[in-house]
Amino acid sequence: MKKRLTGIAALTAIGALALSGCAGGGGGGDDAPIKIGSVNSISGAATFPEASEAAQAVFDRVNAEGGVNGHQIEYKTIDDKGDPATATAAARELVGSDEVVALVGGASLIECEINQDYYAQENVLSMPGIGVDTGCFNTPNIAPVNLGPFNDMTLTLLNGSENLGLEDICVLLEIAGSTEPAYRAGIERWTEITGKEPMYVDASVPYGGSDYTPYIVKAKQSGCEAIAVNAVEPDAIGQVKAAQAQGWDDVTFLFLTSVYSENFAEALDWTGAGVHVPAEFYPFTEENEANDDWRELMTENDIALTSFSQGGYLAAMNFVEVLEGMDGDITRESVTEALQNMEPIENPMVAFPYQFTDIAAQEFQPGGWPVVLESGSNAWKQSADDWLMIPSS
Amino acid sequence: MNGALLQGALAGLASGGLYAVLAVTLTLMSRLVRVVNFAQAATGMFAAFSAVWLASSLGLPVWLATVAGVVIGALLSAVIGWIAATWLSESSVTLRSAMTVAPLLMLISLSFILFGNKPQPFSPLLSGAAFTAAGVVVSWVTVVMVILAIVVAAACALLLQRTTIGTRLRALSERPTTAELIGIAAKPLSIGVWAVTGAISAITIMVIAPSQSNDAVSLSMLIIPASAAALLGGFRRLDLAVVGGLALGMITGIVAQLPSVQFVRNFIPFLFIVLLLLWSQRKEVWGEAR
Repeated sequence: MKKRLTGIAALTAIGALALSGCAGGGGGGDDAPIKIGSVNSISGAATFPEASEAAQAVFDRVNAEGGVNGHQIEYKTIDDKGDPATATAAARELVGSDEVVALVGGASLIECEINQDYYAQENVLSMPGIGVDTGCFNTPNIAPVNLGPFNDMTLTLLNGSENLGLEDICVLLEIAGSTEPAYRAGIERWTEITGKEPMYVDASVPYGGSDYTPYIVKAKQSGCEAIAVNAVEPDAIGQVKAAQAQGWDDVTFLFLTSVYSENFAEALDWTGAGVHVPAEFYPFTEENEANDDWRELMTENDIALTSFSQGGYLAAMNFVEVLEGMDGDITRESVTEALQNMEPIENPMVAFPYQFTDIAAQEFQPGGWPVVLESGSNAWKQSADDWLMIPSS
Repeated sequence: MNGALLQGALAGLASGGLYAVLAVTLTLMSRLVRVVNFAQAATGMFAAFSAVWLASSLGLPVWLATVAGVVIGALLSAVIGWIAATWLSESSVTLRSAMTVAPLLMLISLSFILFGNKPQPFSPLLSGAAFTAAGVVVSWVTVVMVILAIVVAAACALLLQRTTIGTRLRALSERPTTAELIGIAAKPLSIGVWAVTGAISAITIMVIAPSQSNDAVSLSMLIIPASAAALLGGFRRLDLAVVGGLALGMITGIVAQLPSVQFVRNFIPFLFIVLLLLWSQRKEVWGEAR
């Protein structure tokens, strides 16, 4: 009996070795698939499913048209559930055992900060569709296609002070994890550019709070003309409603891209003097040829039209362009090299060209397109006719 | 400075009234059917989301959708009550309470699956300002919540003291076996209590949801401050549950105005629970307390 077990174990081991040997080939053969992965928060406290769905749609289209130089793309997305342990395991599964050539088109609440050292160690690059946490913006191995919440903070304040001419802006911050210094840096950058300072910064506004009346009352009583908040959608709705209940009719809301959605517009009839947002990508709530291909592909695949699906789409498109320009074997090493030496890619959906190393080093000029949700309209519209750029310092 | 504190207290009344109503339903459940129902707010949330769906997708008029929502809340709660009464009638309070975590998680997941993970477009049942005091607008929603909490608590106290049903309910909660032996129908009565509290939760959530953050998780998690409020009355006294809810809301509002104590803001219900537990255990001798 014992002998037989040992035999089975040995066979299993040989089988496993053979299998992993095949998998380890990673692009060695002429028609071997190109493996790409992404880590996403699809279930849990905050969910971003559209980015990787959009990337998947792009890769499916490339595959249907014959793949990249004859290679099909194999795209694997893993849900990290917003949980650090799962995010760690997900990265090891993709990079360690599936041997992906790069990570593309993901959107996770926490992944970058947790996995950046591992990606550096394995020399694999990541191009998230939407980078969320601080870790997406401070390492040479990760370069998201979006400009990130911290640049977004500077932009939304610029939009308020320069485009709308607001003087007394109060900043309310909802802090998750270790993001406070990054948001504060975003506010300081605005001060450096404009010489203006917020009336006050309250960095203790609760995340996912049920009633924001006390914070709104405080802001109203302090004489703020506008409040700039980094709230996610449900919280932002709560804050607008609390201001409505207080009869604060002349308040302007300066929010970040995270609230720019059809759903948000439908949920709010009243928005005071307006909700102003610098959209990170070309506004999608109005038809425009910049968004045509993206809109068509998303509608075809039944994917929600949001900034997240714009980000996932752009990451996948950029990556395919880089792959198509490559000669020779497509391996992790060659892909990493190609990304690091890529020519900048221009796209009318984004304010700035995408070049991996420049974006990873945060050496680029971020910009967004101002949009507004006015009271009673239930629909977003553009409030400027060009990108609002952060002046290079 | 005092002006700011008064403003904070008034601003906090909005959530205080809400905590008070939920705390009253929690206290009722604990007294009458021996359970701390963690799914109390989630039941209301699910009922309210169903009502929004009925109004927006099936085109029902708002009043009809609202009535349907209350019925759904009552039925949902009755089903959970039926499970408790059928399989866990002899179990300890701890076990029965732990059971309610399952419907809490299930209702949150189910609402994600059925209604998506975004806040819902609620049309307000009540709106506008009731009055303005110290520069703070107190809305009708707030006024109605505070009144609802007091009325429900008073009505339940009267019902329990003055009516036959009340006597039977008390008998059932204090000596369940004896009550059953003398012929009181335990199961229908207790399921009835579940259904009534379910309906009250549904009404509460439908009234407040249009005027605040209204995604599934924030609404379901109202159970935490509500439990803290109910703890003031030891899950036994209705009047103290009302006071606890209002006090908790007002303290939260006041603390929001004080920059020096900002760091405790997010932990107020938790601090409230810890302090109350320490206070209630103050005369216990180490070792004898357990």
